[in-house]
Amino acid sequence: MPKIEWGILIVNYLFLGGLSAGIYFIAALATYLQEKDETAYARIARYGAMMAPWPVALGSLLLIFDLGNWWRFYKLFVHFRWQSPMSIGSWLLLLFTALTLVNFWAWLPEERRTALVARLRLPRWLDRDLAGSRRLLAAAGFPLSVGVAIYTGVLLGAVQARPFWNTNLVAQMFLFSALSTGCGVLILALSLNRKRLDATQLRFLYTLDICLITLEFFIVLPYLLHGELSVEAVRNSLALILGGPYTLVFWLLFMGTGLLVPLAIEVWEIAPALGSGAPLHHNRRLAALAAVLVVCGGYLLRYIFVYAGQLSSFSR
Amino acid sequence: MHDKRYALVIDSRKCINCKACVVACRAENQVPLGASRDWIGEEHRGTWPRLLAAFQPEQCHHCVNPSCVRVCPTGASYQRDDGVVLIKEEDCIGCRYCMIACPYNARFFREDKGVVEKCTFCAHRVDRGESPACVETCPSKVRVFGNLADPAGKLQQLLATRQFHVMKPQTGNDPQIYYLL
Repeated sequence: MPKIEWGILIVNYLFLGGLSAGIYFIAALATYLQEKDETAYARIARYGAMMAPWPVALGSLLLIFDLGNWWRFYKLFVHFRWQSPMSIGSWLLLLFTALTLVNFWAWLPEERRTALVARLRLPRWLDRDLAGSRRLLAAAGFPLSVGVAIYTGVLLGAVQARPFWNTNLVAQMFLFSALSTGCGVLILALSLNRKRLDATQLRFLYTLDICLITLEFFIVLPYLLHGELSVEAVRNSLALILGGPYTLVFWLLFMGTGLLVPLAIEVWEIAPALGSGAPLHHNRRLAALAAVLVVCGGYLLRYIFVYAGQLSSFSR
Repeated sequence: MHDKRYALVIDSRKCINCKACVVACRAENQVPLGASRDWIGEEHRGTWPRLLAAFQPEQCHHCVNPSCVRVCPTGASYQRDDGVVLIKEEDCIGCRYCMIACPYNARFFREDKGVVEKCTFCAHRVDRGESPACVETCPSKVRVFGNLADPAGKLQQLLATRQFHVMKPQTGNDPQIYYLL
């Protein structure tokens, strides 16, 4: 039986990297879409810009501390190996984190920025208004955030020795799950704002998340179907979630409370807007619950895949 | 094709599970206790008097298409022209991606050094013209080490006249340990 080499630190990292990518992607979309020459969903864009850098930064630190020789991590950036998903991912991560920081700076209110430059004794040239570049930063973020989100899946999917992972559907699953967790965190941030609930912006997020969860659902299903119709080793590996140690956590916690329950809540939330044009149900608690469930579901997906995948192998 | 392609032919039926190869490897390569670069797989079947005990020596298969080398982000895992797959210890960051990518679980993590380690085919001995420690020590002559690229060599002779199989060929790694049937 193979040993577990990648543990909870890697699960956390895959989740946090995907979360940042998701937040950035959704916020970039909110920035990029315009109404009457103005950012259509400014609150989402600003919240996203403020939050995006931190999960990925923390995740990268976890990744470095998981290494056997953490001080050698710089070697990842001395070599570029196009055949290694980890090598490509490291570079993507570096570029993406830099972009999230620049974007953070571009959305920081002027007085905060000036205060920060003074407090941290940063060079004066940093205290500059980048608001004009926000759409450019958003556009640059589309490929980079999708790249970071999908690479976490490719990292696992590209390992042919582990039949549980070795399908390109894992990459798609991780991508849509990452975007959905980003959406979830933004829904949570918006619904926690006690002063006012912005119906238009929440509706935008709900609609997006419903699409993303549906996409994720219809990737998980073919993953199971293809696997069951595949060769013996793949079928045996799927037994880990179809009657094995990860069955309960996969079906009940991930598929149930992590995917279908939040989907139902979100559909219920926007249901009034579908018919009569009334805004939303506006249940702050339910909205927060759906958002938390989406985020937990994303975490569990990575947990299940990292652990179950390492237990799968060819028998002979 | 290169003029050298080191490989190992194993006649499992001769193996008596004495583990002299494991001990020889540990002594030769200072492998710490708790991990092994080579080991013996055991299979037991049936009940007395109709029974079978089969032993299969295992280690790194020094694959032609090593998945460990492909996934290594720093190039620490590499393949020599003669086919031997090695790890540059100073370039290994200890991410353990190679361990996950190896279909044979032939690699292990050294906590004391923070790097991954595995069988080297005793490259330091082979380069001096000697055979690997496990091959030299085997009392029942289970292991035949040699150059597969030599058409008149003992490996080609054995593989031309005996039936054999390789482990987990479906991964596409093209492993280079041949088990005689």
